[in-house]
Amino acid sequence: MRKLTACLLIMLVLVLTAGIFACSQPAPAPAPAPAPAPAPASGPQYPLHDPLVRFKIATTTSLYDTGLWYHLEPIFEELANVEMDIVYAGTGIALEYGRRGDVDAIIVHDRAREDEFIAEGYGINRRNFAYNFFLIAGPSNDPAGITGLTAAEAFQKIYDEGMNDPDTVKFVSRGDDSGTHAKEKLIWGEVGFDYEDVRNSGEWYVEAGKGMGPTLLMANEMQAYVLADISTFLAYNLKTGLKIESLVEKDPIFLNVYAAIAINPETHPKAKIEIANQFINWLISQEVQEIIDTYGTAEYGSSLFYPIATCDIPGCPPEEDYTKPVP
Amino acid sequence: MALIETINMGQRRDVRDILRNINLRIEKGEVFALIGPTGAGKTTLLRLLNLLDVPTSGKIRFDGVDTSAPAGVRLELQRRMAFVLQKPVVFNASVYDNVACGLKWRRIDGGEVKEKVNHILEVVGLADYRHRNARTLSGGEVQRVALARALVVEPEVLLLDEPSANLDPLSASRIEQLVSDLIQRYATTTIMATHDLAQGQRLADRIGVLMNGELLQIGSARDVFALPHSKEVAEFVGVENIIDGVITSNEDRIVTIESHGRSIEAISDYMAGEEVCACIRPEDVTLALARVSSSARNSYEGEITWLVSMGPLTRVEIQCGFSLVATVTKRSAEEMGLNRGKKVYATFKATGVHVIKRN
Amino acid sequence: MIELWNGLLKAIELIVTLDPEVMEIAGRSLRISVTSALLASVICVPLASLIHFHQFRGKRFLINLIQTLYSVPTVAIGLFVFLFISRAGPLGGLGLLFTPAAIVIGQMVLVTPILLGLVISALRGVDITLIDTARSLGASVFQTSLVVLREARFAVMAAVIMAFGRAISEVGISLMIGGNIRGYTRVITTAISLETSKGDLELSIALGIILISIALVVNIALNRIQQR
Repeated sequence: MRKLTACLLIMLVLVLTAGIFACSQPAPAPAPAPAPAPAPASGPQYPLHDPLVRFKIATTTSLYDTGLWYHLEPIFEELANVEMDIVYAGTGIALEYGRRGDVDAIIVHDRAREDEFIAEGYGINRRNFAYNFFLIAGPSNDPAGITGLTAAEAFQKIYDEGMNDPDTVKFVSRGDDSGTHAKEKLIWGEVGFDYEDVRNSGEWYVEAGKGMGPTLLMANEMQAYVLADISTFLAYNLKTGLKIESLVEKDPIFLNVYAAIAINPETHPKAKIEIANQFINWLISQEVQEIIDTYGTAEYGSSLFYPIATCDIPGCPPEEDYTKPVP
Repeated sequence: MALIETINMGQRRDVRDILRNINLRIEKGEVFALIGPTGAGKTTLLRLLNLLDVPTSGKIRFDGVDTSAPAGVRLELQRRMAFVLQKPVVFNASVYDNVACGLKWRRIDGGEVKEKVNHILEVVGLADYRHRNARTLSGGEVQRVALARALVVEPEVLLLDEPSANLDPLSASRIEQLVSDLIQRYATTTIMATHDLAQGQRLADRIGVLMNGELLQIGSARDVFALPHSKEVAEFVGVENIIDGVITSNEDRIVTIESHGRSIEAISDYMAGEEVCACIRPEDVTLALARVSSSARNSYEGEITWLVSMGPLTRVEIQCGFSLVATVTKRSAEEMGLNRGKKVYATFKATGVHVIKRN
Repeated sequence: MIELWNGLLKAIELIVTLDPEVMEIAGRSLRISVTSALLASVICVPLASLIHFHQFRGKRFLINLIQTLYSVPTVAIGLFVFLFISRAGPLGGLGLLFTPAAIVIGQMVLVTPILLGLVISALRGVDITLIDTARSLGASVFQTSLVVLREARFAVMAAVIMAFGRAISEVGISLMIGGNIRGYTRVITTAISLETSKGDLELSIALGIILISIALVVNIALNRIQQR
């Protein structure tokens, strides 16, 4: 009987411990040095809302890995009095969640697929709210010699050198159907390749199947070339000290525009459309645009994202795509 | 009406017939002993009587009710009996809880349970062990728990399977005494299986001999032991002298049996020419060093071929034309100076010979 | 190496100071897995008894199937449950995806084969004479099964604890149908996989230490029970 009591006691202890843990407040993510995201130190504390309403969004990984959402989340929760659930998903997966109605809004960055998504009736009220640029990073010694080239030229060289010497020249792809991955395929198209041929051409081409941050880390480990958005790159460089450098930056094709889309209540009646609309309007509002303008300036010298209004190169979305509030 | 009745009951498992043609009537209040060698089917029979198993042929009636009834009825009938298994197991709980479980399952209320359990524990002598875990008890104590557990529910029928078989002689006799007392005290109809013939003789009113799945003989202790119906039964009940012969004459029921060139006188109804066996119990054979003239007609001169001491008795094998086994007291054996090779005279009465047909 | 050492020190600091985020994640893991183990037990212990005490055609096959399902990969279960509870799936109306309740459901599916299989084994381990004894003393079939369960109680408890151990260390299900949402469905295992892939070692190590400690406690409990 004694041993039975002991075991029951142990189980009781486990349950009690769980209860004790449950009562402690969830932590603000930024604060002491071992922070999971390099957000500015003066972020608001993360209060626990009574989860009467849960608003779910699926977000592209590059926005998540920079910690922008950690920063914006509490503000919107306070404003709309909802509990925001942010699910980390590449553009491809986010679109799938949207199609299935498992989230209320999605944040993605692939114009072509966004239009398809909306045309199929899954999404409405699309608005752009921020942009940045991609870059190609690689080992400091640049074995393929791509520094200063255009995007297409750089890719061509990486391909040639990679086929030639796969041990020295490697390329790490997102390989996950994300917006970044879509951009990568676009550039390969510009060079004149069929993506499937590139994929299967040799050992120099590595498919990570991961988010932006983790893919950067893999490229870092392998000392390989990688296509990344500048924000995530800078954030990770600061956080973990990457040993790869940005080698190719200035090219119009690198324009990367983020969009927020609400899930169509006609296809999924349970989608929380009012909150989604409020959310999207809030994203394009003056207040958030100013936050985006200054997010990261302190740490990196320049901001990680740009307010959409400042977009002025070919390929930027028309004004109505970011100024007109949703009904 | 008999309390329990089996009609042409049989039990078949795979291709073997474990029991065949069992016709048994147990009267209320009687103590019935089922004796037979190990493997005869005694446990199987008890299990069938307790309704733990269903017979593959024939039927059983309990108090007039056919037992091939729906489960609810069977459970009710089962609750009127109690069975103490061979090598009983106790639950991993206190002695009190073990004994109380039968009552609890019958939904008897708490106060009454307590009273009955404490009482029976007194009776079997385990009152001090009430709170001990039953798994810590010795063999004899476990047997007592099992008996208490069975009797506390006041069964109409008590079934016991080898109640003292796995115990040392002292514990065994204690348990036997306890069983005897309990049977008398509660006047429960009892069916007991044992391979110990003497025990059956001591405790039972009637005995059934089960051998190889068949009930070869049912009768009083005396009938079975002194007057076995067949050679197998005779062998089992310890009739060591089974002498094959032929009846040569029958006058007024006094027969002469010729065997191995000798004549044996006995009492029987069989006619001349019949092939028979003469059965004589070893204790009915007396030995002497000289020819004795007595009323005993059967007296033979022979030589001792084997001698062995068995506790207070001595078993003597004699060759006198046919083989004969006698048991005498050790004292007598010593006084007569019996040993191998010695010439002796073996004598037994005609009335001590039980004649059975040779088949 | 130095990086690892620094990580370890900072991790211990997080634990010792009861860092709120670490505690919150650990607490959630415990709550979710204890719930799934207990709920699954409530269903599986009676179910296992039913299977054990009754004879039916295909019983042998069923038990074999249960034992085969011990080692289903968690991502397979995660995917399977995901397809059911996604809004587009048959149970979509319940809106369960990306909630702690979903993880509980997924983990219950995960531990059911283990619970069923181990409880059936536990019941088998009870001396068959006990069943005869109970029945001969007048126990009904239901009362007899209770007796056998009581006799096997320690083995049954061990099965429940083992189910808990399996539930709390899985990551495939929590990730796929929990979504690893910070402050809501992030558990120890998903947090570790997320933080490690993002390069943040301190939090991962801290959570890893906690997970291993829980596994240790579970193992000790298991050992003491199995000695019974």
